[in-house]
Amino acid sequence: MAGASRDQALSLLAAANNHGDLAVKLSSLKQAKDILLSVEPSSASELFPYLVELQSSPESLVRKSLVEVVEEIGLKTIEHSTVLLPLLLTFLKDDDSTVARQSIVSGTNIFCSVLEEMALQFHHHGKLERWLEELWSWMTKFKDAVLSIALEPGSVGTKMLALKFLETYVLLFTSDINDSERPVAEGSRRVFNISWLVGGHPVLDPYMLTSEANKTLGILLNLLRVATSLPGALTITVINCLASIGRKRPVHYINILSALLDFDPNFETMKGCHAASISYSVRTAFLGFLRCTNPAFVESRDRLLRVLRAMNAGDAADQVIRQVDKMIKNTERALRDARDKDDQLSSQLLVSGDLFKKRSIPLDNDVSANGHDLASKRIRYGSEMYMTSPVQLNDFRRDEGSVNGLPTDFPLLDGELTPVEKMIAMIGALLAEGERGAESLEILISKIQPDLLADIVITNMKHLPKSPPPLARVGNLPVSRKISSLNGQAQVMVGAPTNSLQSPTLPSQGPFSPSTIMSSVVPDTPSVNNPLDSKRDPRRDPRRLDPRRVAAPVGLSSTPTVEDTNTTLSEFDGPISLGKPNLIPVTVTVDNPSAPLISKMKNDESLESPLVSGTGQLTPDEEVQEGPEETAPTIQFNDSTDPTNSPIHTVDEDTVAINLSDDPVKEEADASSFLEFDHHSPVHSNTSASEDTCQDLPQLPTYVELTQEQQECVRKLAIERIIESYKHLFGTDCSQMRLALLARLVAQIDANDDVVMMLQKHIVMDYHEQKGHELVLHVLYHLHSLTISDSVQNTYPAVVYEKFLLAVAKLLLDSFPASDKSFSKLLGEVPILPDSILKLLDDLCYSDVTDKHGKDVRDVERVTQGLGAVWSLILGRPQYRQACLDIALKCAVHSQDEIRAKAIRLVANKLFQLSYISDNIEQFATHMLQSVDSHASDVELLQCGSTEERSEGMVGSQETSVSGSQISESGNSENNFPTQAHPSAQRTTTMSLPEVQRAISLYFALCTKKPNLLQHLFNIYGQAAKTVKQAFHRHIPILIRALGSSCSELLQIISDPPQGSESLLALVLQILTQETTPSSDLIATVKHLYETKLKDVSILIPMLSSLSKNEVLPIFPRLVALSIEKFQMALAHILQGSAHTGPALTPVEVLVAIHGIIPERDGLPLKKITDTCSACFEQRTVFTQQVLAKALSQMVDQTPLPLLFMRTVIQAIDAFPSLVDFVMEILSKLVRKQVWKLPKLWVGFLKCVSQTQPHSFHVLLLLPPPQLENALSKHPNLRSPLAAFAGQPSVKTSLPRSTLSVLGLTNEMHTQQSHLSSFNPSDTVRERCLEDDTSKGNMVADHMGY
Amino acid sequence: MKRMKFRYAMVCSSNQNRSMEAHSILKRQGFDVSSYGTGSHVKLPGPSLREPNVYDFGTPYKHMLEDLRRKDPELYKRNGILPMLKRNCTVKLAPQRWQENAADGSFDVVFTFEEKVFDMVIEDLNNRDHVLMKTVLIINLEVKDNHEEAAIGARLALDLCQEIEATDSWEDTIDDIVAAFEKQHRRKLLYSISFY
Repeated sequence: MAGASRDQALSLLAAANNHGDLAVKLSSLKQAKDILLSVEPSSASELFPYLVELQSSPESLVRKSLVEVVEEIGLKTIEHSTVLLPLLLTFLKDDDSTVARQSIVSGTNIFCSVLEEMALQFHHHGKLERWLEELWSWMTKFKDAVLSIALEPGSVGTKMLALKFLETYVLLFTSDINDSERPVAEGSRRVFNISWLVGGHPVLDPYMLTSEANKTLGILLNLLRVATSLPGALTITVINCLASIGRKRPVHYINILSALLDFDPNFETMKGCHAASISYSVRTAFLGFLRCTNPAFVESRDRLLRVLRAMNAGDAADQVIRQVDKMIKNTERALRDARDKDDQLSSQLLVSGDLFKKRSIPLDNDVSANGHDLASKRIRYGSEMYMTSPVQLNDFRRDEGSVNGLPTDFPLLDGELTPVEKMIAMIGALLAEGERGAESLEILISKIQPDLLADIVITNMKHLPKSPPPLARVGNLPVSRKISSLNGQAQVMVGAPTNSLQSPTLPSQGPFSPSTIMSSVVPDTPSVNNPLDSKRDPRRDPRRLDPRRVAAPVGLSSTPTVEDTNTTLSEFDGPISLGKPNLIPVTVTVDNPSAPLISKMKNDESLESPLVSGTGQLTPDEEVQEGPEETAPTIQFNDSTDPTNSPIHTVDEDTVAINLSDDPVKEEADASSFLEFDHHSPVHSNTSASEDTCQDLPQLPTYVELTQEQQECVRKLAIERIIESYKHLFGTDCSQMRLALLARLVAQIDANDDVVMMLQKHIVMDYHEQKGHELVLHVLYHLHSLTISDSVQNTYPAVVYEKFLLAVAKLLLDSFPASDKSFSKLLGEVPILPDSILKLLDDLCYSDVTDKHGKDVRDVERVTQGLGAVWSLILGRPQYRQACLDIALKCAVHSQDEIRAKAIRLVANKLFQLSYISDNIEQFATHMLQSVDSHASDVELLQCGSTEERSEGMVGSQETSVSGSQISESGNSENNFPTQAHPSAQRTTTMSLPEVQRAISLYFALCTKKPNLLQHLFNIYGQAAKTVKQAFHRHIPILIRALGSSCSELLQIISDPPQGSESLLALVLQILTQETTPSSDLIATVKHLYETKLKDVSILIPMLSSLSKNEVLPIFPRLVALSIEKFQMALAHILQGSAHTGPALTPVEVLVAIHGIIPERDGLPLKKITDTCSACFEQRTVFTQQVLAKALSQMVDQTPLPLLFMRTVIQAIDAFPSLVDFVMEILSKLVRKQVWKLPKLWVGFLKCVSQTQPHSFHVLLLLPPPQLENALSKHPNLRSPLAAFAGQPSVKTSLPRSTLSVLGLTNEMHTQQSHLSSFNPSDTVRERCLEDDTSKGNMVADHMGY
Repeated sequence: MKRMKFRYAMVCSSNQNRSMEAHSILKRQGFDVSSYGTGSHVKLPGPSLREPNVYDFGTPYKHMLEDLRRKDPELYKRNGILPMLKRNCTVKLAPQRWQENAADGSFDVVFTFEEKVFDMVIEDLNNRDHVLMKTVLIINLEVKDNHEEAAIGARLALDLCQEIEATDSWEDTIDDIVAAFEKQHRRKLLYSISFY
């Protein structure tokens, strides 16, 4: 096997060396590497020489890959990699900078692992193997080579990496205790540090290495000094590397800082460098230093700030300072808590620790970001400082690991835990992790959802021990002024999140609780172990000189928890000293300097009291000897005597329970503290102690039983307090927490109105800043979650929920104007909407609202508001969609027009668009539409019923359609309905017009959105009652205008209108053409309808203006046959014409057309025509004098003459007397046309002549004598005037004798007759006369005789 | 298409406007580019200064688009937020946070568009373990956070990226590139160098 893979590897390596194709080379090399990695290191090493051969490969890519392969194999088979290392050195000088760079990177990695291997090997075996020493010598060479790269000219990129290596080198060989903590928390690799090394290492001499590191650092610093000659990128790298060293190794910080401070980028001399970037990197370095919390950095803070301000980076610097301060505080607190809980909860570590890690990932963001975590790591520096021995540190780490790694027998997380309990357990687990958990804990706490945190707090309230934690009680003094018995609760609620940390321990601790509470409530106590933060110089910390502090690590080999032990000891002192102030002087130790913390926490006041009790006896001699530096703490002690007194009073006033609890606590505390001292068992002393003691102790009652009233009172007070404090707080930081707390408190409070009212005021006040809204939602969601969680047993939360929601909703309505969106927003976002809310909404929109005086106070704006809410609920809350839709629909048929209009707009324009409810809406509208028929069922029966009846009905309606269509008022058309056929359909509906309108408006509105609903309207129209039809007529214009004439559904209906809908159709057409030119589709449809189905020409009226003369003329008689009104309408259309075709007929043509109608042929009574004519004459503006004249002159030439011609002439002369001359001409023409032969016209002619005398005398005299005679006999009154006229000499001479003889003037005129006759009536007349073969032949003969 | 040598990251504070504009442009030009924000949350302008719309990183742009469209389509259309989100939807799924991008691998060039962001990126890089020893160039080009400036800034970033892409190794030429750019566009740049 080995042989096979060996051969394979060999051939692959050969391919990598010799193959022509680069890709093959690379892949062969990779495969060879895989084989080498898979076989035994020893057999792999046999092939190394072949690998080395590849170094002369001409392709840089191959060489670069080779470096990578060397690194990978070297790290795996470090024992055999000596052969490979020279390669790295060679490649450092490779011409291709990528190869050189890769070998720096690979070399650095190998360098680190060689170092590590050396340290570990010696540590484990006490000696080093030779191969390792050899490797190390190569590594030293490597280091020198890289150094020379850094210093000699060359590729900037390569030099940068060389500088990076130098940085790494300095870091490796500069002792860093601090860094040892990093790996576990960050999951990064564990890097060797010189602090691992113990003395006596055969090769690695810490002293020498440190001085090497210092030397290297010196080189870097020197580079900075000559920066003017370096490329800018290099200078920046140097600065960054130095800054990194400075941050990570405080030992070098001062050196580096002063170098950077001295560094004056002399911009003038820097040729080709980007000066701004260089100075910015200095700035970045300084800001980085500012983030460090190590004392060394803290000292230089002011200096840094000054410099940064000078660099215009003051703001950034201030911000960093703020961040750091905040972080220090947070970390401290978490750290303290963590330590307190460390022992007690270590058993939970594994289980819950894992759980936490999983959970914490999503939670963790802001705090860990931005390098805060770095700072929080640093912060532990101080506490670790005291452990000076590197060995111990090392052990510590290992110990911790092994402890953590042990599976434990305390699976505390049974599956039934609620999220809150889980969280509590999680926090507990973190606390148990101690140092390492602290950071995560802080993040966790800051990231816990306010709701959850509030739950934790509230849950905790349940577990408040009978005896309130002494310190808490004391700290609570301000509150106690109000109700002393409430202190416990109030305090916890008001407290900062830190307090909630106590929760994890409490449930599981049982009898332990007094002390654990103590420890958690007094988280600040151990904080004094911390580096005293930035505010105090740790070197002035008196604790440094505390003999116990020094003694502990020295005396014990396993000291990791020494500090913790101290801490727990001091915690136990709390209750002890309070209960029995004179007890145990020794244990109150470290706590004195807690003074600085006082300013931070309100509660801190409390810290002092237990301390005080001890301080008197306690203050160690050593501390006293400290002299002046001690003054501050001492003063503190003195000051704190006052508070000591008051808490004690409080204690006395408190319930008896406290006294009860005192004794056990004391005993317990005693026991444990003694145990501690005796055994000094570092890890589990506490636990064991407590277990021992509590077996003998009676179970303590853990609750303070409050009466119902007290509970209520407490809750109210709590709410009040929270609200009050909230008012002054505008930041959003704590508001989440507050909201969550308030929500829970409201849930607990009896649905007591004044509490709700109190909250309401608050809600309204803040509503517009969203705070009130948030609060309400918090409360409601919380209540709702309670409802869901125990709906069966307890309906109480549901009741509160409903009540609260209703109250808030009403409040919003009352408090804000209708335009305010809060109400709608509220309903949209609350978890559920109970019926009462829907009712409220319904009332708002629909029901009549009357005020106290019974007056209708409905505000239409409110309706709008309600409908808006309804709309958004329909959109956003499917669950309530139907209910809301019902409201909207109800409003859509509201009797009040304004409301109805609003609702219809909503339903038709918005809701109807929603596919999921459009059917419902349509159904409803249809139903309402049908309901207007009080006999809706009959209509249906009729429609689907007997066909016989229907056909009868059709016949009936067809018969009546002509006359029916003349009647514009639909009410009349009802009469046309064949009543005999459907007695039921002929009904007297009981609904009034407004009622009908109310019911059908929605349907009409929907039609505009969905035109195929129209069909139904037309269908039922025929059978509808009169009022319904009226309502239809009112509604349809808007609808039709909205749809327009090109709506295909409408055209469809027009082309095939249902029976009985003709008048509606006519109305529709009228509307369609009212202001616009009808579309060609419409015209075509209507024409088609007229030609096929509906012979009613009135249907065409609206189209007339668009029709041409040729189209109009054929139907003209039908138009005349219409009612006079319709005809006039038609006439108007005809005359109006369309914009581009002009009028279909001119007025003259109209007149001629009218006269062209022949009653017999066209089936029209003459009367109809005469009426029509008269109607035309009435329109004097249209049918003017000129029009008449023109028409008459056209008609007079017609043969035969129109029947009504003479009538029209007479009317014309009546209407326009000035036409008389023209008429005389017409009459003359008529004479020539022998009008007497047309009896009907002749009568008219004579009448006209008679009426127009004396103008007509000329014409009369033109008549042949028999006709003249006839005329005079018919109109005897003419005779004498005519005779007088004719008797005038000038006239007489021109008249023929026969005429004169008719007039009785023959004798006198006798002689002149013959000679005058030549002037007389024209030849045509004579000719006509000749042609005429009537009985008047004698008259012709008479003429001829002249 | 020519393979791009370097991987680029565009970073602003919310990964919405400036970085996305640049991301979009560079992506179109075939660059291997990603984009991030350094803020703690994604913030978009709201009805008033005090009421921004706040989302978590990772919330899809589409979701924000729908959310804002629901809230006030007019307003957000007018102020260009909706169009911007629409554009962003076409570039990638959701805003990403710089500080959480370790899994995305290393970049060669990181562009920031605001000094604060520049600081945060540098600080974040400094806090990471420099295991790969791979250099990364961080460039800050100050761009105001509005649509117009973002468009201009993205153009400039593209120019600069093209310059950088054209070099064999930016380490040797970055000073010249930056100086030339400043001279040509009269815009100040800052650059820094860190490691992965």
